Amino acid sequence: MTIEPFAPVHLLAVLPEILLVVLAGVLITADLALPAARKRELGLYAAVGFGLVLGVTLLVTLPTVSGGLIFGGMLRHDLIAFAFRVLFLFAGVVTALIAVDSPTIGKEGEFFLVLTAAVLGMNLMAAAADLIMLYVAIEMTSIGLYALAGFLRENDKSAESGLKYFLFGAFTSSLMLYGFSLLYGFTGQTNLYNLAAALTGLPLEASLLALLLVLVGFGFKVSMVPFHFWAPDVYEGAPTPVTAFLSVASKAAGFAVLIRFLLAAFPGIESIWTTLIAVIAALTMTIGNVIALTQKNIKRLLAYSSIAQAGYMLMGLAALSANGVSAILYYLGMYTLTNLVAFGVIVLVGRVTGSDEIADYAGLSRRSPGLALALLVAFLSLGGIPPLAGFFGKFYLFTSVMQSGLVWLAIVGLVNAIISLYYYLIVLKVVYLGTPKDEAAVYPVPRPYQLALWACALGVIFVGAVIGPWVNIAAAAAGGLF
Amino acid sequence: MDIAWYRWVEWLVKAIISTVVLLAGFAYMTWAERKVSALVQTRIGPNRLGPFGLLQPVADGIKLIFKEELIPAGANKAIFLLAPIITVVPALIVLAVVPWGPPVANFYGPGEDLPLGIADLNVGMMYILSVTSIAIYGVTLGGWASSNKYATLGGLRSSAQMVSYELALGLAVVGPLMLAGSMSMLDIVDAQSFAPGQWPWFVVIQPLAALIFYIAGLAEVNRAPFDMPEAEQELTAGYHTEYSGMKFALFFMAEYIKMIGVSAIFATLFLGGWQGPFVYQVPWLGIVYFWGKVILSLVFMIWTRSTLPRLRYDRLMAFGWKVLLPAALVNVMVTAAALLGDAVVLGAVLSVLGVVVVGVIFFAFARRRQPARRPRPAASEATGP
Amino acid sequence: MTIELVLFFLLAVVAIGAAVGMLLSKNAVHSALFLVLNFATVAFFFLFLGAPFIAMVQVTVYAGAIMVLFLFVIMLLGAEQLRQPSTVLPWQPPLTVFLAVVFVGAAWLYFANAGPGSLAAPPPFATAEAAGAFGSPQAVGQTLFQTYVLPFEITSFLLLIGMIGAVVLTRDDKKR
Repeated sequence: MTIEPFAPVHLLAVLPEILLVVLAGVLITADLALPAARKRELGLYAAVGFGLVLGVTLLVTLPTVSGGLIFGGMLRHDLIAFAFRVLFLFAGVVTALIAVDSPTIGKEGEFFLVLTAAVLGMNLMAAAADLIMLYVAIEMTSIGLYALAGFLRENDKSAESGLKYFLFGAFTSSLMLYGFSLLYGFTGQTNLYNLAAALTGLPLEASLLALLLVLVGFGFKVSMVPFHFWAPDVYEGAPTPVTAFLSVASKAAGFAVLIRFLLAAFPGIESIWTTLIAVIAALTMTIGNVIALTQKNIKRLLAYSSIAQAGYMLMGLAALSANGVSAILYYLGMYTLTNLVAFGVIVLVGRVTGSDEIADYAGLSRRSPGLALALLVAFLSLGGIPPLAGFFGKFYLFTSVMQSGLVWLAIVGLVNAIISLYYYLIVLKVVYLGTPKDEAAVYPVPRPYQLALWACALGVIFVGAVIGPWVNIAAAAAGGLF
Repeated sequence: MDIAWYRWVEWLVKAIISTVVLLAGFAYMTWAERKVSALVQTRIGPNRLGPFGLLQPVADGIKLIFKEELIPAGANKAIFLLAPIITVVPALIVLAVVPWGPPVANFYGPGEDLPLGIADLNVGMMYILSVTSIAIYGVTLGGWASSNKYATLGGLRSSAQMVSYELALGLAVVGPLMLAGSMSMLDIVDAQSFAPGQWPWFVVIQPLAALIFYIAGLAEVNRAPFDMPEAEQELTAGYHTEYSGMKFALFFMAEYIKMIGVSAIFATLFLGGWQGPFVYQVPWLGIVYFWGKVILSLVFMIWTRSTLPRLRYDRLMAFGWKVLLPAALVNVMVTAAALLGDAVVLGAVLSVLGVVVVGVIFFAFARRRQPARRPRPAASEATGP
Repeated sequence: MTIELVLFFLLAVVAIGAAVGMLLSKNAVHSALFLVLNFATVAFFFLFLGAPFIAMVQVTVYAGAIMVLFLFVIMLLGAEQLRQPSTVLPWQPPLTVFLAVVFVGAAWLYFANAGPGSLAAPPPFATAEAAGAFGSPQAVGQTLFQTYVLPFEITSFLLLIGMIGAVVLTRDDKKR
């Protein structure tokens, strides 16, 4: 793949990123300028800002399917990067909306500023085509997320969450960096698309060693086994909007990088890494689902559920086909919508009951039918019940794996989907059939939440009901990589 | 590499001359400091030993050599001994890249010039910055190894100060570097020849950079009004409280040699170095011009010290970070934009800077009007919002 | 043996000695100083390789700026004494051995494939001029501001965010 010489039109390709930097400047200035009584508007500015950037992205930066290498080979401006970018910006909008009325973080300008930076980093992660660009983008995302996870310093759990995330993250990212440096050392190349050719002449061990080290870093991001230990503690301790963002955007960014990196840099050892990924996928979903069965805290439950979901998505990568990758894309899209609904409900319930224990969700349907319904939609979709998006996502993934001949993996996935139904349904049972502890509890739903929850919940239904266009987009985006 | 034997001799001789000049310079700087301060404060100053007290430094040296050398009981001995050395060595070698004059053409024979500087690196300025950054260790470690609270505090203060001002110093240097288009000190001096196609002395076109460099340089060598590390009213004598005899003398020496170093670099970067009338015809004149400028700058430093009171520590840090560093950045941006020669770019940079400056001033005043800030809501929830 | 080779071996001994000293020192300040020595020696290696700019940056940034901050933290926390028995985790030594083996393996892979003409050998310079300019401030600047301009700019934003994050996580609310 050749690197296009710089042309001013390339600036349009990074326009969303430029606008995000501007948004960061606006937010920090607004934080300084707004009087204390109006600080609530900061989150709205952030949400509107992300929304505007999303609009600009959709209107201006639509690339060709296969795209080209721009900025000296630092970025590849292709459809898959575009799709991920839309996903991240959407997650940014929703996260900002559900953080607006939070009593702890809603009025902190720095929170939204760092959130903007994390989204910016993810955008670049999805498009990065060069080891150096990739590393800078990953660090941008990670450092932002460390700060967000530990944002509530007075809260021990949040502080623990931030520190754990940071320690795990720093350790894995140093191993990943070692892998990058080996790749550069072996080949003298930093561009992903030049690595493959340069690696072919080298012994197998070289690629394998680099692959393993690099997988550590990416595996941490997508929380795949055995690099998943951080997820439950971090998810539980972090402020809930941050958990929502972590569970969707950070994971999606990890997948964006994983897909591009493995396909671009290691075609020479395809057979090895697909087997490796297949085994890891099976382990990840099984361990995630089995441990989720025993959870009492809903944030921890969703943490293990998200580990399991990562396992499903890894199947698509193991399939090593355009179908597999497009299934991952579709699944990520629906997973983002679904998880955001779930976490939106958790934020609201947690604010009233002051806890995240599943037992405290008893009888939610009687006190707030709307929230209970949203939770129902989300959990049924996560469990893969037919009319919702989750069902088709799983179906598409399993088919792609079968097409590639990995029948055993599809069976493992199917068994896991059934296991997972059990714990999703238990939560729903508590919500619909339990008796509320406090018969008079009121669950206020402020307007930003209504917007976010409605949009996402309708999205879950819509994406599941009208499959065609989404699958076409996902297939086109995935096609650019093969 | 085959290098003619006389080159080795030349390097050796030049290194020895440079060291001797710096050591003698140190001795007479102490004399000059006392004489000039005396002049400012209408006293007489040292006048007993030799004409005008010129032998005073010799007497001081003899006294220091015969003083008892104390090592505190709790001190970390190895580092305690190492610290003065780490302080002096960078001070002595920093001038290696500063040219004293233009090369003397055909000194050894046709095509064999004699450069009047120890070395001309193409990264000369980086060399100076890296050597000065090492010098911080001596002061910090000396303070820490003494295992004395005042000394440790003095050491930490000084390193914080040096690290902070090093940024402004480094950025102030960028202006001349960009104008000369090189990091070699020889090229920088050559660029300031007033000749057509060249620049005048950089102090004329980079006055802001020169001012910042001078102030940051004072702070870098811990001179008044920035002599925080040894503020005797607060810290007895700062990092060298526990030092005595020759080890104390080494710290003392380093301070004065660093003064000479900063002055020499200032003269090179902003006052045209060895530039002066007829210097290209008679290269040896360059040495006279160069050292004349250095002495001028040194006298100015002593003058500053005897005139200005010491800054308070927090003011000092605020000044470094909030005034000098942004000013140096602005200088770099404007210089770069102006060098591009594109009116649109320059206009854009200037207008953006204008907006930023106005905004900062506006917010500074808005802050001042409402000093009390809102109390932060207590974290009442167990987890999450 | 040329004079460069003699100097190289001398410095190599110093560098390795400093690295070992850093690991074995019982005093954190000594460790930090050994690390400074190691960095300075590495800077000399860069000089031998004809990259004076990188050498100076190595001294300024690593030995001069970063290690001063290390010393600061050690001194302010009073954390000079290392090696209490509890600071070594039980799985640390085996992990170290494993990682060391991995490292040696990686190095061996590299050197086994680093013969002339192989992929691991650096590509030859296009012109004599390019060889002369290698590692010069101009060459470094042009690479940094042309090919890598985007990561460079993003890094500046990254540092800003890191700074803001650090301030957010450490500021003392009670004093506000």
